[in-house]
Amino acid sequence: MFSKSKPMWGKKTKLKSSYDVVLIGGGLHSLATAYYLAKEHGITDVAIIEKNYIGYGGAGRNTAIVRANQRTQYNVPLYKEALDLWPVLTKELDYNLMFNNCGNLNLMHSEAAMNAARMTIATAQFHGVESHLIDAKEAKELVPALNISEDITFPIHGAMFHPPGGVVRHDAVVWGLAKGASKLGVEIHQQTEATGINTKNGKVTAVVTDKGVINTKQVLISAGGYSAALIHGFLGIKLPISVLTIQAMVTQPLKPILNHVVSSGAYHCYANQTLKGEIATGAHMDQWPNYTTLNTAHYIKHQAEALSEFLPALRGVRFMRIWGGLADMTPDMAPIMDGNEQVEGFFMDCGWGYFGFKSCSAVGRHMASFMATNTCPDILKPFALKRYQEHKLMGETAALVSYTPDN
Amino acid sequence: MALTITCPICGKRNGYEFRYGGEEKGPRPDEKDLTPESWCDYVHMNRCVAGVQQEWWFHRDGCGSWFTIFRDTTTNLEKETPEAKE
Repeated sequence: MFSKSKPMWGKKTKLKSSYDVVLIGGGLHSLATAYYLAKEHGITDVAIIEKNYIGYGGAGRNTAIVRANQRTQYNVPLYKEALDLWPVLTKELDYNLMFNNCGNLNLMHSEAAMNAARMTIATAQFHGVESHLIDAKEAKELVPALNISEDITFPIHGAMFHPPGGVVRHDAVVWGLAKGASKLGVEIHQQTEATGINTKNGKVTAVVTDKGVINTKQVLISAGGYSAALIHGFLGIKLPISVLTIQAMVTQPLKPILNHVVSSGAYHCYANQTLKGEIATGAHMDQWPNYTTLNTAHYIKHQAEALSEFLPALRGVRFMRIWGGLADMTPDMAPIMDGNEQVEGFFMDCGWGYFGFKSCSAVGRHMASFMATNTCPDILKPFALKRYQEHKLMGETAALVSYTPDN
Repeated sequence: MALTITCPICGKRNGYEFRYGGEEKGPRPDEKDLTPESWCDYVHMNRCVAGVQQEWWFHRDGCGSWFTIFRDTTTNLEKETPEAKE
């Protein structure tokens, strides 16, 4: 991976002593921001600083699900744009991102959940996103493997069906964006750890790394689950974030059985069948903050119990691989995007929890515009850090089980 | 990711018996001279330390006491500490 041979995205370059823009974190949000900075704003003197390798963190650990069926009016348009961008990026990057818009089926297990789904669907339809409420029988027609009998722990009352969602190959997005950004002049420096940010008179002057100091006037921290610790460590800015390990796993490959992403809030479980035939499943977050990214028997057992109840055909199927990643959760389940507020030239894009993947393309585009023009695009304004002080928390929690240990 | 927590009353127990109660942030700020900043800081803001931090726990499925411990967030191992402050 770090051999002398040429990386797949382009030439290996030497770290310079200054760049126009430095992006800390080699994940999808940084890669997308770099790509759009170069493509739409002509800012090509950009360095991405990554401690490990690109796609090492959440970018390569998420379960690849994309959707735009969030709860609030602020979030839905952002995710809709991201959803619309997958086919565009596939063409633009000339890289097969394997977007499979198979649709998402959110199971509802009570009348209260059905009512909540009605509100979420109304929000989606208001923003021109296709989303329908269906009953248990219709859900069974879509996914014949579903158990809609009443003798399971959480009987299925109906579902929210969101046809434009689906699955995107996450590694392909990493590689495609790296290639696209690199082609436009962006430098990607792996095995380079940012250790500090220098400021003078309230302005960013440099990023300190283990390979030397980089002078720059603009820096973005979008390092997934590690962002909050870095931002506090470098600039002393505290964030309303709790970092939790989230676990996922895949079963042995099976013949086609699931042609939609199926998820259930009550069972704390989602599942989809990959193109290789494995059932990719997950959803569980540890109940206390930690950076271990380790799996636990506790959740493997839970996952098996949940799946074998609502998809009984999976009884006896074995898990083949398990892994964990980090989710940086905020109290309102919505991200924090801000810039030029705490320190001039400092931007942040974090608090994405477990939904950073679905949003990366659209967010990269808007963060690039924010950094290039020093003007916050309207679509990002509601996500500023100040909202917590002003008590303007977003209502995303209404749509989901609340995972944050703080609330 | 096994976790054991030492409750001041019940001793060393399985971590799943407990509820995490947040980072230790010092005393609740005085109502007098309270600003939105200082209240928000107390209510929402975290340091998110990747390393040893002092944090609150509640023995939910046990004796019901609230106490703090020191824990390494990168290993989930409890660290030798002075006992709960209060």
